[in-house]
Amino acid sequence: MTGNTSPRADDGSTAAENADAALTTRPDGGSVTASGNRRWSRSGRAFSTLLGRPIVAGVVAVVTAFLTVPVLVAFVSSFAESGSGVLPTGFVTFDHWRKVLGFGEYGVRKNAIPGLTYSLLIATGGMVLNVVIGVPVAYALARYDFYARDWVNTFAILPLVPGLILGIAFVQTYPQHGRSALGLLAGYCLLKSPYMVLTVQSSFQSMDLVRLEESARSLGASWPRTFLTVVVPHAKRGIIAGAIITWTLAAAEFNFTHMVASGSPDPFAMFLYDNIANNALYLQSAAAVSVYFLIVAGAIISLQLLGKRGFSTAHQ
Amino acid sequence: MSVRKSATTSVRRIATLASTTARPTTERERERRRIAVLCLPFFALAIVAGFVPLAMLVRISLAEDTIWMDGWSFDAWETLATTPEYRRVAWNTLWFVGLATGVSVALGVAVAHALEKYDLPAERIVVAAVSFPIALPGIVVAYLITVLLGRQGLVTNAIAVATGQGAHGLASATAITGLFLGYVYSLLPRATMVLRGTYAEVNEQAEEAARALGASRWETFYHVTLPEIRPGIAAAAILTFRSGLAIFGTVLILQSHQVVTLQIHNEISVGSYAPDVAAAIGLVYVVFIVAFTFVGLRFVDDDAVEV
Repeated sequence: MTGNTSPRADDGSTAAENADAALTTRPDGGSVTASGNRRWSRSGRAFSTLLGRPIVAGVVAVVTAFLTVPVLVAFVSSFAESGSGVLPTGFVTFDHWRKVLGFGEYGVRKNAIPGLTYSLLIATGGMVLNVVIGVPVAYALARYDFYARDWVNTFAILPLVPGLILGIAFVQTYPQHGRSALGLLAGYCLLKSPYMVLTVQSSFQSMDLVRLEESARSLGASWPRTFLTVVVPHAKRGIIAGAIITWTLAAAEFNFTHMVASGSPDPFAMFLYDNIANNALYLQSAAAVSVYFLIVAGAIISLQLLGKRGFSTAHQ
Repeated sequence: MSVRKSATTSVRRIATLASTTARPTTERERERRRIAVLCLPFFALAIVAGFVPLAMLVRISLAEDTIWMDGWSFDAWETLATTPEYRRVAWNTLWFVGLATGVSVALGVAVAHALEKYDLPAERIVVAAVSFPIALPGIVVAYLITVLLGRQGLVTNAIAVATGQGAHGLASATAITGLFLGYVYSLLPRATMVLRGTYAEVNEQAEEAARALGASRWETFYHVTLPEIRPGIAAAAILTFRSGLAIFGTVLILQSHQVVTLQIHNEISVGSYAPDVAAAIGLVYVVFIVAFTFVGLRFVDDDAVEV
């Protein structure tokens, strides 16, 4: 980030103006033609120099608004009584939240808490499994140079099979267990593993792994012990960040869940789907979506506490 | 004879490799065993949860009886090859995702440029805003588009009030433009993420030199910055395009454009149940994504790759 390095500002144009003022005579006795001078000072008057920055800043402002405004509106209007008109009106009511979560007497709506808990437990399981499979492969890729390393790398960091296809194939392949919690867990783990591998890998890449490993080995630790008690603890932050990211993404994974989930209890993604699709009420959808926003906000805050800039796998 | 000989040697070589990896005697062999052990859990899961189901997909696409997976037939592939409908779906998907990728990457360049070069007043907010949508599943993105452009949407109603028209006629969330914005919403953050990594490595001195020599800002960007970030743009385009191909939830809710994921979903829905055709489309789709990614990444620096 730019931080406190001074922006490159307008030194170009001011230099050109100075040249304008000095004009025709040069210290070495030569002379500068007016047209040549204009050629050099052109940058001061170029369209992009005058307006480039405001235009780009404007684009950034529009993009930021496009990405954030709907989220804020959805969150705010989930507490409103009426969503018609330009802005929601009638604050503050918790009716929609209560209805969506299924508290109290609201007819056929079922309590959403079991589904939510179920999903979060599966996401946690997927996260733990991701640590077990992701950290070793990330270490192998960061530390060693081996045959087909590039291929393994591409496989590990790119989700090659889309969730939808994986879901269809999964149910057909494992008819008994495909729809169970175990099936969801394995699917989430595989689909989200690239985020774990990338995060941990970039954390490993910032360490001097060879020296670390050799110091531990020369002090008498066996290789498994070196890996488990020296290397892994050093990458603690990366692993935790990867765990938060994979957990959050798995908590609301929809494409795979839609194909695999069998109901009872309904995973969280299906709860969102039921509250968004077709004939769902606008403000109740807002409340349902807001539940997930709260989860994401919690994840982002935890990532910030770890020193990560939001949902990024990159290491700083 | 020579083929047989070379086959025997390579089998023997693999056997030695396997046995030395299992029981290493030299440090080199021990290292190989460590690599194997480290990669093993990942590949165990990838095989059980990834490759085996994909192989099953091949079987489904070739099955004569799709309920018991009996018999063999090429019917599904024939349907796929001869029905013009499927070609239209493929074309729909490619141009739509391609356009969304183009817009997302262009906007991503602008955002990454501003974040890296300018002193923005609310930089942290911008960073958070462009990174958190990565966490949002497609169905939530679809809802956010209806928040803006649906019948009760913010923009729709604002325009309705300003122009005096009815909000119903103005709602465009379920039009193709709404879906397009949904795609951009999901893809823009991914593109920006990759491009920010590239921008962090741009040589600022070259840009300063260009400016000092009198190049305008646009000339500096076009002749100095752009060549430097070109690998990042290519990587961003590849990753964004493939993420765009995988979008499903957004289309499922907004339903305004027949793309491949929606087609696959329709093939396994009640009423038009054809799992063999769905499997065949799915295979073409996966093979395309994998081939596209590998071919694309050959031309790009691997370091620029992030999900």
